[in-house]
Amino acid sequence: MSEPVQSSSRSPSGLRVTRAVLGLWTGGVLLFLYLPVLVLVVYSFNASRLNVVWEGFTFGWYREVWSNGPLWQAARNSLVVALVTTLVSVVLGTVGGWLLHRYRFRGGGAIETLAAIPMVMPEILMGISLLILFAAAGMELGFTTVIIGHVTFCFPFVLVAVRARLQGLDPALEEAALDLGATPIQAFWRVIVPNLQPAIVAGGLMAFTLSWDELIVTFFTTSAASATLPIRVFGMAKVGLNPMLNALSALFVTVTVAFVLFSAYLKRLARG
Amino acid sequence: MTTGAERRGGAGGGRRAGWRAWVLLAPLLAWLLLFIVVPALVLLVYSFCERDELGRVVYTFTAENYQRVLDPVYLRIFGRSIGYAALTTLICVGVGFPVAYYIGRSPEGLRDRLLLLIMVPFWTSFLIRTYAWITILKQEGLLNAVLQALAPALGPLDLLYTPAAVLIGLVYGYLPFMILPIYGSVEKLDGAIIEAAHDLGAGPLRVFSSVIIPLTLPGIAAGTLLVFVPSIAMFAITDLMGGARVPLIGNVIQNQFLQARDWPFGAALGVAFLVLFAVTYWGLLRFRERGEEAGG
Amino acid sequence: MNLPRPTRRLASLLLALALPVSVPAAGVLNLFGWSEYVPQTVIDGFTKETGIKVNFETYASNEELISKLVAGGGRYDLVQPSDYAAEVMIRQKLLAPLDSARLPNLKNLLPDFLRRPHDPEGRYTVAYMSGTVGIVVNTEKVKEPIKGYRDVFQPKFKNRLVVLNDSREIVSWALYTLGLPVNGISKESLAKARPVVAEWVKLVKVFDSDSPKTALLNGDVDLGVVWSGEAAILWNQNKKFQYVIPAEGAHQFIDVLAIPAGAKNQAEAHQFINYILRPEVSKLISAAFPYTNPNAAARRLLSPQELANPASYPKEGKLESQEREMRRKERRIGGGAQAA
Repeated sequence: MSEPVQSSSRSPSGLRVTRAVLGLWTGGVLLFLYLPVLVLVVYSFNASRLNVVWEGFTFGWYREVWSNGPLWQAARNSLVVALVTTLVSVVLGTVGGWLLHRYRFRGGGAIETLAAIPMVMPEILMGISLLILFAAAGMELGFTTVIIGHVTFCFPFVLVAVRARLQGLDPALEEAALDLGATPIQAFWRVIVPNLQPAIVAGGLMAFTLSWDELIVTFFTTSAASATLPIRVFGMAKVGLNPMLNALSALFVTVTVAFVLFSAYLKRLARG
Repeated sequence: MTTGAERRGGAGGGRRAGWRAWVLLAPLLAWLLLFIVVPALVLLVYSFCERDELGRVVYTFTAENYQRVLDPVYLRIFGRSIGYAALTTLICVGVGFPVAYYIGRSPEGLRDRLLLLIMVPFWTSFLIRTYAWITILKQEGLLNAVLQALAPALGPLDLLYTPAAVLIGLVYGYLPFMILPIYGSVEKLDGAIIEAAHDLGAGPLRVFSSVIIPLTLPGIAAGTLLVFVPSIAMFAITDLMGGARVPLIGNVIQNQFLQARDWPFGAALGVAFLVLFAVTYWGLLRFRERGEEAGG
Repeated sequence: MNLPRPTRRLASLLLALALPVSVPAAGVLNLFGWSEYVPQTVIDGFTKETGIKVNFETYASNEELISKLVAGGGRYDLVQPSDYAAEVMIRQKLLAPLDSARLPNLKNLLPDFLRRPHDPEGRYTVAYMSGTVGIVVNTEKVKEPIKGYRDVFQPKFKNRLVVLNDSREIVSWALYTLGLPVNGISKESLAKARPVVAEWVKLVKVFDSDSPKTALLNGDVDLGVVWSGEAAILWNQNKKFQYVIPAEGAHQFIDVLAIPAGAKNQAEAHQFINYILRPEVSKLISAAFPYTNPNAAARRLLSPQELANPASYPKEGKLESQEREMRRKERRIGGGAQAA
C-alpha cells in the first residue's frame, strides 16, 4: 500500500525539477536567439552611418526610416508576399501531407521525393530556371511570379511538419467520424485539421519566415513594383548598409514581441 | 473492420488511392510538375551545353561539364558541405529538443506565444542580423570583452572568419526549423503515459529514452530533414561569417552563375547535386517502408 | 467539395495582386540599378520636374543584372552596369545606341570619361561614377611603407588581409605585379599568374566584395585591397586608413548608364540621363557616395573636404581602364583561386 503513495508523491516533484531545468535551458536558447537582435536594436540608435563603429546616441535613423517611402513599400510587399505564400503553402502542404499519409499512391515515393527537392535546390538554380520558365510562358513578372517561387520552396516545410504529426495519429478517429456518416472531406475538415493544428501553426510560421527573408528566388522573379525588403537591403551593399535598416528591423521585432506579451496580458485580464 | 495494413498509417500510406484522392492531390502534382520538374528539365538541357561570354548557353552537346563535376576539388567541397550540414543538424537536435519539449508541455495558452518568440528574431533582415553577429564575434567584440573580464588568461579568441563562426551562424539560422517540428510531436504526447512510466518507477533518463524519444521520433526525423537538407546548399553564411574562405557546394553553384558566368557548368553541378539527393532520399523512403512492413 | 472554392478565391486574389504591374507605360521610366546608388532625392526631384514616374528595381551586382537580363526577365529602360559588364553587353547587342542630341549636358563630363575602351565611340554609355581598386592600410597597425601589391601579399601579413571576393580582380593584380599586360590576356600570362595567386590566396583572412570596410573597421584585418569608395568611407571615418594606388598599376572602373536594346521608354531614359548630368544633381550623388565624380561642372561644386579625400580623388598613381574579357581559360584560374 505504501509504495504507490510514495512514488506518486515523488514523481511530480521529479517532474517539477525536470521542468525547471528545461525552462532554464529554453531561457538560455531564447537568449542565444535574441542576442544579435539586442545588438541590432542597440545599433539602431548609433549616430554613425556605419553599423560597425559606435559613435553616440541618436533617434535619427527612426526619423529617416519613417520618411523612407520606398523602404516601407518594400516592407509592405514583403508582408503581402509572405502572407499569401503562407496561406497557399499551408493549404498545399496540409492537404498533400494528409493525402500522402492516408492513401497509397502509385509512385508515392517519387512524389514525396519531388516534394523534398525544393528544400535542397540552391536558390540560384530555382530562381534562374523559374525566370526562364516565366519568360518562355510570356508571364509578366510581379507578385504572382514571386509568390509562385516562394510557395515552391515553402510548402515542403509545411508538408514535412504535417506528416510528422500525422505519424502515429490514431486512424480510429477518422474512421469514427466516417462511421457517423461524415464524408471523407468533412472528416478531414472536422477531425484531422483540428488535430493537426500545432503542426499547421509550426509549418505556417516556418513558411512565413522563409518567405519574408528570401533574396535570390525573389530577385529573379520580381518586378520593381513587387520588390521585397531583402531586395532593397542587399542592393544597398554598393553604398553600405546603414542603421536605418537596424531601426526597421528593431521596429518589427518590438512590435511583434510587444504583441505577444500584450496578448498574454490581455488574456490574463479577461480571465482574472 | 479495418485490416492491420490500413491501420498502420506509415510511409507507404494506408489504403490504395481512389480517383477522388488523385483529384485532391492534383493541385500539388501540378505544382510539382510545373515548378519543379519543368525547371529541372531546363537545367538538365543546359548542363549539356556550352556557354558564351555572357554565360548564356550555346546549344551543343557536350559531357564536359559533368567531367568537371567529378574533379576531386568539387568532390571535396561536396563532402565538406555534408560535414557542415551534419554537424549543424546534430547540434540543433541537442540544443533544440529540450526547448521543443518544454514548449510542447507548457500550458496551452503559452505554447503558440513561445513558438512565435522562437521565430520573431528571424523577422529581422538576414544581413542586419548577420552584421550583429559580426559585432559580437569580432576580435574587439562583445564576446571577447566578456571573456576578457571573466578569464583574461584566455586572451581574445579569434572567432570571426573561422569555421566555428560559420557553425554558429548555421546553428543560429536553422535552430527554429528543428524546434518547430519536434514541438508538433511533443504536443501530441499523452502526459498520462509519462506519468505512468514515472509511477512504475522509471527514472527520468529511462522515461526519456524509452518513452519520450520513441514517441517523438517522427518530429525529430522531420526536424533533421528540415535542417540537414537546406543547410547543405546554404551559401550566404559562409561568405559573411566565414570570410568566404572555405566554399561550400552552395557557394560554388552560386558563383558559376553570379561570378564565373558559366551557366552550363553551374547547371551540371546542380543537376548532379539534385540527382544525388533524390536517389538518397528515395532510397531512405524505401528503406523505412520496408522496415515498417517487416516490423508490422 | 470544399477545396475548389478557396482555391478559386485565391486565384482571383493573385490576379488582383498581379494587375497593378500592367499599368500603361506612358510617362514611366523603368530603372534597374544598385539601390541607394541613385539617391532617392534625385529620383524624387526628377519625377517632380518631369512628371515621369520612376520604377526603380534594384540589384546587388553586375552579374545579377546580366543574369536577369539574359534569362529574359524584366523590361528595363535604363540600366547601370560597370564598364566591363557594359562592354560585353555592347558586344552582345544588348544595349541601344544613345542619341547625343538629346543629351546636351554631356558637355559637363571630363573628357577623360568620354570615350573609354569599353565603349570607344561613346555611343552606348554615359559615365555615372568612377572609382579605383587600391590598397587600404591601417597605419596604426602597419608601420612599414606599403606601395604596391608586393608589399601587401607578404607572409608576415598572413591572416591580416581583406580582399575583394572576385577572382578576376585578384588575377589582374597578379598580372600587374608580374608586369604582364592586363588587357589581352594570353594562356602563357595566366600560367605565370596562377602560382602567384595561389600563394596570395593563402594569406587572406576575408574575401568580401560587398563591404570589405567592415573587417578593417572592426580591426580583424589591417590591410585591404578594396574599392576606392569603401576606402573613402574608411578615410572619412578615421584618417589612420590610408589609401594607396598600387605602384604596379591599378584598375579604374566606371559605372555607366545605358539603355537596353528594345527599351520602350527611350525618350524618358534620355531625359533621366541628361538630368543626372546636371552639376547640381551630380553633386547630390557625390555627397551620398564618395566615388570619383566624372562630372567637371559638378566637381566645381564639391566642398574642399570632399575633394581632399585621397580615395575619391587620388593625386598620383598609374591608372588603367581594363578590358576584362571573360575567356574560358581565365575562368579556370579563377576557379582554382576559389577552391584553393
